[in-house]
Amino acid sequence: MQEKKKLICCKCRKELELIKTDFTYLGHSFFTEVPKCPECGLVYISEELVKGRISDVEMQMEDK
Amino acid sequence: MDDCRVLYSTWSVCPVCMKRIPAQRVQKNEEVFLLKTCKEHGAFESIIWREFSDINKWVGNADKPASENPKCPEGCGLCADHFQKTCCVLLNVTNRCNLTCRYCFADQGGNTDDPAFDEVRESIYKIVEKDKTLLQLSGGEPTVREDLTEIIKIAKEAGAKYVQLNSNGIRLGENKQYAKELAEAGLSFVFLQFDGTEDSINENLRGKPLLKIKQQAIENCAEFNVGVSLAVTLVRDINTDNIGRTIQFAIGQSPKVRGVHFQPVTYIGRTPVIPTDSDRITLDELVFEICKQTNGIIKAEDILPSACDHPLCGFHGDFIVDKDMLIPLLKRGEAEKKCCCDSAAEKNREFVARRWQRIPTTGDSCCGDIHDMEYFLNKVKSHGFTVTAMAFQDAGNIDFSRLRNCSFHVYDKGNFVPFCAYYLSGWKQ
Repeated sequence: MQEKKKLICCKCRKELELIKTDFTYLGHSFFTEVPKCPECGLVYISEELVKGRISDVEMQMEDK
Repeated sequence: MDDCRVLYSTWSVCPVCMKRIPAQRVQKNEEVFLLKTCKEHGAFESIIWREFSDINKWVGNADKPASENPKCPEGCGLCADHFQKTCCVLLNVTNRCNLTCRYCFADQGGNTDDPAFDEVRESIYKIVEKDKTLLQLSGGEPTVREDLTEIIKIAKEAGAKYVQLNSNGIRLGENKQYAKELAEAGLSFVFLQFDGTEDSINENLRGKPLLKIKQQAIENCAEFNVGVSLAVTLVRDINTDNIGRTIQFAIGQSPKVRGVHFQPVTYIGRTPVIPTDSDRITLDELVFEICKQTNGIIKAEDILPSACDHPLCGFHGDFIVDKDMLIPLLKRGEAEKKCCCDSAAEKNREFVARRWQRIPTTGDSCCGDIHDMEYFLNKVKSHGFTVTAMAFQDAGNIDFSRLRNCSFHVYDKGNFVPFCAYYLSGWKQ
């Protein structure tokens, strides 16, 4: 089975950890777990998340 | 002396001879009226706004300069002067009805022959744009046709993305198997005539107690995953004090019920009276009453003027029902920033459809934190809830600037006609 690749923070060289992170859109806030640097807080938002749930949230929130 | 100010110059019709005449929206103190004078029949005025909010802020820049088509609205089919594309298409499949209501925009209920099935099929194929069209089957009462199931199948075969049924719910409530057949044929959602939570309202407006059968219609549709929105015809002193209770009832029925759609009564087709200003329920008044009668559960800022049609033609609020609470998704000022008016009709269609139909969701959405993205996405799909309104126009208050922005069209003999132009009828003095 293929091992999941580690994500390393480009600034701190620390391994990113899955941490609950807040997002804000059109005055509403949401949280979900994303890979985040435990040192500087840099987050990695994958294409899968952007094209999936984040895009879905945007569509649901937007006015007609 | 009254403080009068002309807000906008537009066109209308004389309600007696139906000739096209100039009109003005005029603010007198805090109220706004549509004023017009027919050389032959004199001056007319209709209230269009009361003092509950600022009409100028509500309308914004919706009134766009346009060339005037001298044939408007008499020879109406969409013309080059019409601004808006089609959001929803209404197809009248019968003139018959199993009720005789006091008010009926279509003035129907007689025993005229239905359009033949082949004629309906031909119309559907002319209307439908594959994977786009939201087709409303209307009447009369469409369920009096024995071949309605076949009509829905044809609409889906032709490629209609959504098929909506406008119904009084009698047959849907009486016959669960029938609801199942319509669902299996591809029915997306039902607009259920539902004027209030008291049978005295039904007796007054519809001639008989219907509450029980309508509740059963909601249950029967729910069993086969057909979303139901409650369509309320609002008549002053009959159900205007029931607005809050209707919304509370609908919230309690979520996710079976997808929202409440208010239609202040309009004086077209069959109406018992020529309206006075005190009969008319303006949109700002309706927003005020919704907020007041829901005890602030819904706030004025949660309700936005229509961006697809003219702002004086309707509004919408978008919510999630979560743990018996109503969570607003739109805020006036915030949401409009994201509006893309280039495809307003299409956006509107997708907005209403994603809320009004029942979408199977994954995972448990009974409990959780609404700020959790996963939970939110499940909940908004399963328990989305809309509070919307549409203010139809009649011979007294029709305003061509509003008409030009209409995205709700009736199909008849090859033409797409804005709803209020299609059903416009003169008043006998």
